[in-house]
Amino acid sequence: MRGSVTAAGTRVDVAGLLWTLARTDFKTRYHGTFGGFLWALLKPALMFVVLMSVFSFIFATSPNYRLNLIVGLFLWDFFAEATKTGLTSLHAKGYLLAKTRFPSWILVVASASNALLTLAVFLAIFLAYLAFAGRAPGAAAAALTLFYLVLFFAITVGISLAGSVLFLRYRDLNQVWDVAVQAGFFVAPIIYPLEILPERFHFWLYLWPPTPVIQFCRAVLVDGVLPTARANLLLAAMAAVILAVGVLVFSSQVADAAERL
Amino acid sequence: MAVIEARALAKSFRIPSDRRETVREHLFNAFRPRSFERLDVLRSVSFDVRKGETLGIMGRNGSGKSTLLKILCGIYRADRGDLLVGAPLTPILELGLGWNPELDGIDNILLLGTAMGLRLREAKNAVDEILAFAGLDRFANVPLKHYSSGMASRLAYSVAFKTVREVLVLDEIFAVGDAEFRERCEARYRELSAKGHTVVLVSHDPRVISAFCSRALLLDEGRVAFEGRGGEVVDEYSRRVAMASPGPALA
Repeated sequence: MRGSVTAAGTRVDVAGLLWTLARTDFKTRYHGTFGGFLWALLKPALMFVVLMSVFSFIFATSPNYRLNLIVGLFLWDFFAEATKTGLTSLHAKGYLLAKTRFPSWILVVASASNALLTLAVFLAIFLAYLAFAGRAPGAAAAALTLFYLVLFFAITVGISLAGSVLFLRYRDLNQVWDVAVQAGFFVAPIIYPLEILPERFHFWLYLWPPTPVIQFCRAVLVDGVLPTARANLLLAAMAAVILAVGVLVFSSQVADAAERL
Repeated sequence: MAVIEARALAKSFRIPSDRRETVREHLFNAFRPRSFERLDVLRSVSFDVRKGETLGIMGRNGSGKSTLLKILCGIYRADRGDLLVGAPLTPILELGLGWNPELDGIDNILLLGTAMGLRLREAKNAVDEILAFAGLDRFANVPLKHYSSGMASRLAYSVAFKTVREVLVLDEIFAVGDAEFRERCEARYRELSAKGHTVVLVSHDPRVISAFCSRALLLDEGRVAFEGRGGEVVDEYSRRVAMASPGPALA
């Protein structure tokens, strides 16, 4: 049986704390310079160059292969980076948890800031390129892209919330997740078009959350096709379930977090 | 009027015979039973803290003081018992450790300040005052990893003093820094107390307990062994320490 606690609320400036965490995270990671940040953009960009050089020959028949590849890579990079840092976020900021009491989910959400920034910069460049090439997305496509990104963010936050508290119990969970992410890279249709696989497998691949997000973003940004309302609803439902499970796991475990640091 | 009401708080830690902290260890040892040793840190602790008073908590190492403070502050969860905290509370605990070593003094102030409940704007406005209080103005832009442990603690106290809401919970205060900094802390503490802030403070120092606390508790083996005015509790504490050790009682 747990003791009952009634405590007067402690108000925290959530936006201020989020901003401070994101800003200082950026500072420690890139020594506070934009040059350092551009350096970080090089990783997925280099991946793109290498993969494109090899695979665009294999998939030469696919007309939008390069655009699809780069959209897939940057979305994937966001997912991998955000969930990996999210998983260790409570542990990494343990020095704050042991000292004072504040809503610790803020630490988990803030840990995605860096990956979010990289994705935002990529999107800005990518949209500029599309506009330059005369393929700028219309209002509906832009709105849907934003919608998918919000859902993707909810998915990564859900996974990070659950992972961050479980990591305090299982200290090798980050290694397990690394393996999952590595395998997941090939489960998601990033370097290959989904169409090369028999249709009966598609459903299963769509259960891996990055798959629908990547496919839908490609549809609206590259192919100019809007997914059906039903497809959008299913993706929203998937994001809601993952976020809800994450919140549940987090709230059931977080009270003991400071004891497990 | 009681600001804090603690009733029969109990807390124990389960210490496993073999630690399993990884997925691998859990998988490979899934069918091997393990035993737990139970360490009862708090057995049953009840007390009230009235608005505006300073309650001292004394006790030897391992008597449960720090665990009790962490429960009061909501950092640990009690296993049993009821706790009512009727006003916002500012903890000042374990200050030596716990900074981001890569960030400089100012960024660390903003980080801890906002986590402890300052609005970002307030924290920014308070940076100079906090650095001045800590006597660290010259080190504002130096990463914390180059601070000495004393400097880091001074900075932490200064941030915490700035973020005080209604109730202040202090662990081993006035044990940090040089005489001058201690003097400044004591003055600041008196100022807060005069303004009507409620304070709970843990200390080993008889002088601190008798000088600052209108009332105090003596914790022993997870229970309240004695309760009385500050001076009385100090006497009882000294008596027990003298009984336990054959040498001179108190330094």
